Amino acid sequence: MRMEDEPQKPSLRLVAGGVTPSRREEDSLVAAFLVGDDDAFGELVRRNEPLVLAIVRRYAQTPEDARDLAQRTFLRAFEAARRSLRSGPRAAVPFRRWLVRVAVNLAKNHRRDALRVLRAPLEDADAEGAIATAPAAHDALVLRERARRMRAAVLRLPRRQREVLTLRVDAELPFAEIALALGITENAAKVSFHYATRALRAVLAPEETP
Amino acid sequence: MSPACTDFEVLLSLRAAGALEPAEAARTEAHLAGCAACRAEAAADEAVLRLATLPPPSAAERRAVAALAADALATLRRREARAASWKRATVGFAAAAALALVVVAPAVLGRKGPVLPPAPAPVTTAATAQVDAWQAPDLDTLWTEADVLDVAGAAYASDATDTSYLAIDLDD
Repeated sequence: MRMEDEPQKPSLRLVAGGVTPSRREEDSLVAAFLVGDDDAFGELVRRNEPLVLAIVRRYAQTPEDARDLAQRTFLRAFEAARRSLRSGPRAAVPFRRWLVRVAVNLAKNHRRDALRVLRAPLEDADAEGAIATAPAAHDALVLRERARRMRAAVLRLPRRQREVLTLRVDAELPFAEIALALGITENAAKVSFHYATRALRAVLAPEETP
Repeated sequence: MSPACTDFEVLLSLRAAGALEPAEAARTEAHLAGCAACRAEAAADEAVLRLATLPPPSAAERRAVAALAADALATLRRREARAASWKRATVGFAAAAALALVVVAPAVLGRKGPVLPPAPAPVTTAATAQVDAWQAPDLDTLWTEADVLDVAGAAYASDATDTSYLAIDLDD
């Protein structure tokens, strides 16, 4: 997730296949929080907030909507971590993986609910002003319309393709981590991503035909 | 596009996402250097992913999550307090029921069974007073409180603090 005018933050991305220092730190923070350390909770949220927001904001209708989805993601992930720790070290799952899985599931349910109503996507709220002041208003309008259609098409993708695509494009997760979070093989994740890309290209294809 | 090009279809999509391993990238770039059709495919993949990418978070989005950690912690603590309250009520209910059984059972059994020595008067008085003071919660209250305990399920979705979230559907 990119912030417009913030300095580049150090990457906290998980590296698959090993226990990274970041993973050990997060495990310690989760353990500290579960025995009552509120500061550990705050640190965990701050570290993982960009990741969670990157996943849920595509499904949000308003900024407050995104915040609520993110908050629910954190609370459920903490509860999941608490329960998995009770089951012993063997059942321990990296906290970030809980977050990704919970966020994907909440987003899926939220999308299902949101499909009952037709609302402008989140990004449209900010786009109005930019269009009005753009020097090439027509070109900007065309581009905006294509982007809008593309984002709508992303939400209409089959579930697995949509999940893989958004975890890569929005959350910028490695395919190995996407596969672990979704419970599929890395190769299956890559193939799903390819099919998703092809499906989106098919949406654009009619307007590209003369 | 030649038959060999089909081997690169998935790789071209991964390339557009910046997800190729070094060896894959080298092989793909070598193929692209000599294949115009695949260069066009690669460009189309890049274009579509660019369009599908969300814009950076707006100022309004950043403002909305400015206090996310504090808000989440406050919500969590509220839920824990409610759960603890419910737990205390459950324990109190169980204790009162057990106490009532201790007090009532000898009286009922005493009618048919052997004559038992009378319980000391001060204990009976105190126990009766406790039972009188406790009022059984009605079923609706129990049901509502039990829902709060479902921390991994409906309680999160129906959190009373999520009013803005609920309002989205209601507004439409």
